[in-house]
Amino acid sequence: MSSTLIVLLMVFLFLFFGYLGVPVAFSLLAGTLIGAIFTDVSATAIVQKMFDGMDNEALLAIPFFLLVGELMSSANIVLRVANLSLRLVGHIRGGLSQVVTVFSMFFSEMSGSTTADVAVISRALGGPMKREGYSPPFIAAIIAAASTIAALVPPSITAVVYGAIGNVSIAGLFMAGVVPGLMIGIGLMIYCYIFGPAGMTRPRAPFRDVALAFRDASLPLMIPVILLGGIVTGFFTPTEAGVVAVAWIIVVVIPALKRGHIKLLPWDFCLAGLIFSLPLITIGAANAFGWLFAYLRGALMIAEWITGLAGDNPQLTMFLLVLLFTIIGDFIEPVPTIIIFMPLVNALTQAADINPVHMGVVLIATLAFGLITPPYGLVLLMASKFVGVRFSQALRAALPIYCVFLITIAFMIFFPKVVLWLPKQVLPESVGCFKNPSGAGYICPQ
Amino acid sequence: MTLADRLVLKQRRHLKWRALDPLEAALMILCGLLLLGFCTTVIFDIITREIGRPWLWLQEVTSTFFIYAIFTGTAVAVRRNDHLCLTAIADTLTGAARTVVEVATRAVVLGVALCFIWFGYLNFLRGFSSFRMPSMTPIASLYAAIPICGVLVALFTIEQLVNGVRNGFARDEPPEPPPHVAEIDGLAPVGGERT
Repeated sequence: MSSTLIVLLMVFLFLFFGYLGVPVAFSLLAGTLIGAIFTDVSATAIVQKMFDGMDNEALLAIPFFLLVGELMSSANIVLRVANLSLRLVGHIRGGLSQVVTVFSMFFSEMSGSTTADVAVISRALGGPMKREGYSPPFIAAIIAAASTIAALVPPSITAVVYGAIGNVSIAGLFMAGVVPGLMIGIGLMIYCYIFGPAGMTRPRAPFRDVALAFRDASLPLMIPVILLGGIVTGFFTPTEAGVVAVAWIIVVVIPALKRGHIKLLPWDFCLAGLIFSLPLITIGAANAFGWLFAYLRGALMIAEWITGLAGDNPQLTMFLLVLLFTIIGDFIEPVPTIIIFMPLVNALTQAADINPVHMGVVLIATLAFGLITPPYGLVLLMASKFVGVRFSQALRAALPIYCVFLITIAFMIFFPKVVLWLPKQVLPESVGCFKNPSGAGYICPQ
Repeated sequence: MTLADRLVLKQRRHLKWRALDPLEAALMILCGLLLLGFCTTVIFDIITREIGRPWLWLQEVTSTFFIYAIFTGTAVAVRRNDHLCLTAIADTLTGAARTVVEVATRAVVLGVALCFIWFGYLNFLRGFSSFRMPSMTPIASLYAAIPICGVLVALFTIEQLVNGVRNGFARDEPPEPPPHVAEIDGLAPVGGERT
């Protein structure tokens, strides 16, 4: 059987099993193991590749960031952040939909997980929004769209996976994700202000109330400071920053704000220990699938096709990759997509001379967009389930919001200097700059 | 209710044998202990490095906890039906069609589990010729997690297959929110009026 046919068989089996209801990790492994039968690769090698995919120190950050989110929501500390968001923007036209966006911008900086974000925001704000008369499809759409910010801003788990697998600076991806994350957040706020339901009119919270809400939320808000501060100063790696944030919550935040929750910590650990294994086994399975895919020259075939169309034009290369990832992201989750297509991405990044951090953040934004597009918009699916509305209704309400993502992605493709500005300022080496040997400062590639 | 009782998921009871409940609880507790274990070792790794006396073996212990936690979580998630899925097509079906889809999906999982057992075992044997630094422990100590996970996944899948074929897969149950998402008490009251 030819390589092309085996690749097609693997992809078909993965999608067939996946859409039949087999868990993603097992679908990927089943497709890979069956595909391997038609090659000279042994099944033992496939199992080994699965193991290698997980045995990566950078991936240790994932359980820590998930544990931070779990502890924050389980101890109900996120409510303080929600109240601060309400005081800050609750008076603006759009009311609670503005609060959803700002709350997500805060919480994303603590959890890094889109699914944790959507679950927490749905619980915190879904009920109040319904009571204030917002339509359930709109509630699901705005919560889902806001939750995708977690994929971009630090400590994004998607960025951890991209950096670990693609050998790209994770800290650089974190920093580069801030501008597009803010653009999506502000874009959603503008959308809600102009096109969204007006919501309930609230008086602007007095400065004293805002200050009090800020004081209430100050301990949890230290988490992004610890994460970013540790990484930017070079004191911690992203993985270590994650564990320090966990220690901060357990030693300081929970005893200070929710002492009664201490006895429930074993429960949180058990659940977080289960939850983190799910993306990790998927990473292992996707690594095996991606390895066989690359071995059969599947990535090379697509790379040649894209290079044939785009030549060495970086914008066109990125545009075609965004198109490809938009289509793939409609069917598969971001993490397996990144792992399977990383050889292709690396080849094209080099061929078109694109900064790897720039490429990474554009593709992560594209995959974040895929989380709210049909047929497999995981975050929109979760939001519609939590809010209690049909997926098709939530999808219709989300359609106009797509423009915020499309504008952001286009902006990121055409203005790399803006995207890379922050990492260049705080972590120049992460984007390929090096110290000037004959003086102060850094020399950066154009 | 004890922690162990709370850790056993009450949903899809008709697909489970009560005899395996203690195993589910034990695996959940093991997940928590392993997570706590590698949190602690990473913290000690930072501390010992910062004071200038790094304990190099901590990284080895961390990766052992990490790998075993992943495979333990993978196994127990099969029993709890917590794995990430693209669709839940079976839930929309009834009768024979549902049985066929439910059996087919579990047959695929079982097939992969059997591959974990056999090829994981071969990998485990091969692992005695490679060693982890600095302790020089055979890497087989890590590879052992794969066949163990395979045995557990196969056991839980067979449990669901047998009970599903015997009792039927479909059962009306109230939707249960994910247990890992805490109820939020509600936003602070604010004054306001509808426009």
